Formats: sequence, C-alpha cells, structure tokens
Amino acid sequence: MSDALIRATALSLDYGRKRALDDLSFAIPPGRVVGLLGHNGAGKTSLMRALVGMASFSGGLQVLGQDPRRDRVALLEQLAYIPDVAILPRWARVGELVTLMAGMHPKFSAERARTLLRRTSVGLNDKVKTLSRGMVVQAHLALVAAIDARLMILDEPTLGLDLLSRKAFYEMLIEEWCDGERSVLVSTHQVEEVENLLSDVLMLNEGQLVLAISLQDLEQRFVALSHDPSVADAMAAAHPLLRYRVQGGSAALFDGAPPPEVQALGQRLRPSLADLFVALTRRPEINRPNRANGDQGA
Amino acid sequence: MNSRFTALLHREWLQHRRGWLVLMVAPASVLGLLSLFEGALQIQVGAQSADVSNMTAMPALLQASLMTLAVGLVTLALAVLSVLFQLPGLARRDQDDRSIDFWRAMPVSDTRSVAATLLSHVLVFPWAALVAGLLGGVLSTALLVGTSHGLMAWLDLPWATLLPSVLALLLRLSVGLVLALLWLSPLLMGAMLASAALRRWGVPVLAAVLFAATRLLDPRLPVPLVQPALKTMGSEALQALVRIDAFSALEHITSAEADAVLNLLQTLPAGLWQDTIATAAQAATPGFALAVLGGALGFASLAAMRRRHG
Repeated sequence: MSDALIRATALSLDYGRKRALDDLSFAIPPGRVVGLLGHNGAGKTSLMRALVGMASFSGGLQVLGQDPRRDRVALLEQLAYIPDVAILPRWARVGELVTLMAGMHPKFSAERARTLLRRTSVGLNDKVKTLSRGMVVQAHLALVAAIDARLMILDEPTLGLDLLSRKAFYEMLIEEWCDGERSVLVSTHQVEEVENLLSDVLMLNEGQLVLAISLQDLEQRFVALSHDPSVADAMAAAHPLLRYRVQGGSAALFDGAPPPEVQALGQRLRPSLADLFVALTRRPEINRPNRANGDQGA
Repeated sequence: MNSRFTALLHREWLQHRRGWLVLMVAPASVLGLLSLFEGALQIQVGAQSADVSNMTAMPALLQASLMTLAVGLVTLALAVLSVLFQLPGLARRDQDDRSIDFWRAMPVSDTRSVAATLLSHVLVFPWAALVAGLLGGVLSTALLVGTSHGLMAWLDLPWATLLPSVLALLLRLSVGLVLALLWLSPLLMGAMLASAALRRWGVPVLAAVLFAATRLLDPRLPVPLVQPALKTMGSEALQALVRIDAFSALEHITSAEADAVLNLLQTLPAGLWQDTIATAAQAATPGFALAVLGGALGFASLAAMRRRHG
C-alpha cells in the first residue's frame, strides 16, 4: 500500500504524563470514506490534530506524503480540515470568508464555494454570529468543500446539531465532495448515522487502535448470530465479543467464525457497527491479539 | 507581496475596519467643527505648547497649516493609543473567539499570521491614520478658512507650497513611526507575550515585574539596567516620532503674518528632510540594535506560542 494517503507507524502522542495516542499503526488508501470512531476522550481529536500538524507526536506519520510537523503549510494546501463545529470567525460575513479563503488557499475556488452556498440557507451577506449552529456547519462545509483537496478531515463536524442538520451535512459531503478519488476521514461517536457512508473504520479506545478494517472485511471477519434465549448458555460458552438484544430475541457477536455447532444454534446477522463499537471499546483487551502488526489497511 | 500575506492583512482590515475608520475620520470631523467656534485651541507636545487662540482671526495660510498639523498629530496619537490598548489582546484574539483552528487550517505559517497581525496593527493602521489625519486636516481647513475668510481664500491658498510641506511632514512622521515602534518593540512584544500566557493578567503582571525590577533588581546591579533601558526606549521613541524642540517654532508663527508663514512653509520640506535623515542616523546605536533584537525575539516567541498552543 505504497500510495496510502495517510500512513502512521507507532504513532504516539502525550499531553504531559497522559498518553493520548498509544502506538498506532494504520494506513488509509485513496478514495475511501473512513470513520474514526471512539468514545469521548478516546483520542480522536488528538489523532486528527496530529494528522494536520497541530499537535506534536512521536513515531512515524506521513499524510499525503508529507510530515505534518515539518510540512504543515504544504500539507494543508492539499488537505481540507474541519476541526469542530462553530469555529468560523463570528465577526465575519460569509462572503468575506469566501474572499479571504480565496486569498489564503491556492486550491480554493470562490466560484464553487458560492455555488455550494447557494444550495444552503446561508447567504453571502450573512454574518456568522447571526447563523444557527446548523447553518454555520453547512457554511463551513461549503467553504471547505470548495477546496480541491485530496483528503478531507472532519473532527466531530455534526456534534450538537439536530438530526436534520446532521443529515444535510452528510448529504452535502457525499454529493459535493466525494468523487471516488478523494478520501474523507470523519470522526464521530454517532456511529449509526455514519455507518452507511463509510467504506472503512478505525476504532480508538483510550488512545489505542482497537480496529482498522474495511466494512467489507468487517462483515467477513465478525459474525453475529441471533439465537433463541434457550441456547444462550451455549452461545456464552463460545466466548462471543458481545451478547446483546435484537428484535425478538438475543444475539451474540463473534470475532471470527464460531464453532460449527454454535453456528448451528443461531441465524447469521449482519453485524452492526454500533454493536461492534460497543463490543470493542467496552472491552478493548479482547481485541489486542487481533490487531495486525505494523501496517494495517483501514 | 505574497497573496496569502495580503489576504491576512485583508482579514485584519475586515475585522477591525469599523474602529479604524472611526479613529481615522473622527479627529478631522471634530476638530473641523470645533474650529468654527471662537475659542482657544492648544497644541501641546511634551513641555512645548502653542496657544492657537481665536483661530478665526488668523491669516488663512496659518489657519490651514495649524489645522493640518493639529488634525494629523491628533489622529496619529489616537491611533497609537488605540493600538497600545488593543495590542496585548491580539495575542489571544483567535483563541478567545474560538476561530484559531479555522485560521490554522489554512495553509499559512504561524509566523506569517503573527507578522500580518502585527504589521497591520502596529504599522499599517497608524500610518493610514496619519495619512487620513493629514488629508482630513487639509480638507477640514476648507471649513475653517471658508468660514472665516470665504471659500475663495481657501482656493487661493498657496497649495504648491503647502502640499509639499504636508508630504514632507508625512515622510518625517512615517520614518519616526517606524523607528518609534522599533524602539518600543521589546515592550510591545512583551505585553503580547504576557497576555498570551496570562490573559487579562498579562499586562498588570508585566508592569509589576518591570516595576519590581526597577526597585529591587537595579539597586543590586553594579550598574542599573532596567530603569535606564525603559527610560531610553520611551524617550528615544518619542524623539524619533516628534522632536520636541521643533515645536518651539510654533510659538513664533502663531503671531506671524501670512508672508512669514509662507516663508516658513517654503523652507519646511528641506528642514523636515534634514530632520528625517538626522532622526534615522540617531538610530544607529547599539541601544537601538538591542531594542530591535528584543522585538525580534518577542516576535519569534509569539509565533512559537501560536504554533504550540494554537
């Protein structure tokens, strides 16, 4: 995977004595929509800030072939980053931000930004401080999506937004930016909402990477079986990652195929990302033996 | 100039233009209107002052000269005061309004970001205010001269003599402004660094530290250091901007006739040019080099702080 857009090797990040990222190794190829999932404090923002050169780290990290620490400016010419909701300068009008970004970013198209903004309820003359949270996020995405970048990094972009605003945001992202060549790395803990958008997933728990896998591989690797409550003990004896309730019964989630006699006791389900998230971030120690050594395709 | 740096300067204009415009236009407007009233207008710089009593009775050329000078200097002084008041807070401005990550997501280095903020606030705005003040002064003379002598008197002013003097004054004050800022740069950068680190306590703590240094440190040193350094910075900055002794000339011209004023204005550009050269030459001292070095170190520290905590 020599053409990976992001390649991390033994990446660690500390805030004083607290370790925020612990020995992460993964790679993200072009044309993927990667979800970075984790609970609050799992290290998602720290990883994203390291990726864009805003936080110092140890270990190896290449983003678009650049070292984020040394080549932050060159890197940001090819990368679009939305760090958080509501960080647009409140004093500015949206049209002024278009003008400023056109001057600051060589790959920003003011015309495309205006086109994208026309599809939102945000006007060019609107002051940021007069916009609702949802409108600010829409405006920010429209601005950032007008950057002809190879990679977009979004850190909890819809946090605190209502359902309609979140939906509008992701629709705009997929329709206006993702073209099969560009990649997106989006962090969230609203797992169910992004599941259908993702091609790959990275899961962080307490600074450690507990899963880096494509959704295609995920369905092959993890097996969920719905079963009758009467065989619950037999299922439990097979040491599933997680036992949970599904409509009309119980289910068990296994890492890898369970023994044939256990499989015969239930019916195979598509494992949901949310259940897997719960299983892996609740008990990360279970998964450590399954983490690939060194380079892992996301 | 690099387009990204221009965009950074443009950002400062967009963010601060309202306050800047008010400060640039208000002195000319207020002094222009005040000049319509009988009364005393006093220009005072340091110990030197000139009472400009009953301006409406003065010759038109003297009115125009004094009004232009007064408006130009008052506008510059207000601009410098507003910068001194605002500068410490600029160090944390983007963190405080939470937009820092937006700006840092742009492909612009932290050094350039800090440089654009400093350049626009410390130099471009005061200089623009000086230009606006002198221009506003020239225009507001129309109000004063027009009221007391008629509009034709304003049109008949010896503009070919007056305007070169104004331009020479602009050049002199521009050079003085740059030198004064460089003299004060260690203090200005220090105030910004202190505010960046300690927020609103930054400037009081810095003032307390400097005060304590003059009282506690200096007496223990073989040669006092802090107080002389502060005094030198302050006095040299003021001298670089306006040589106080030059204002003694005002005492003579307030009672002079129009011909005497004209003669003075004819020699003024050459005199100001000589003064500009002399002021620039005076900066060629080790003390000035140390001040610039201190300012440069402060600037580098500010950029590093933005990089680390941005």
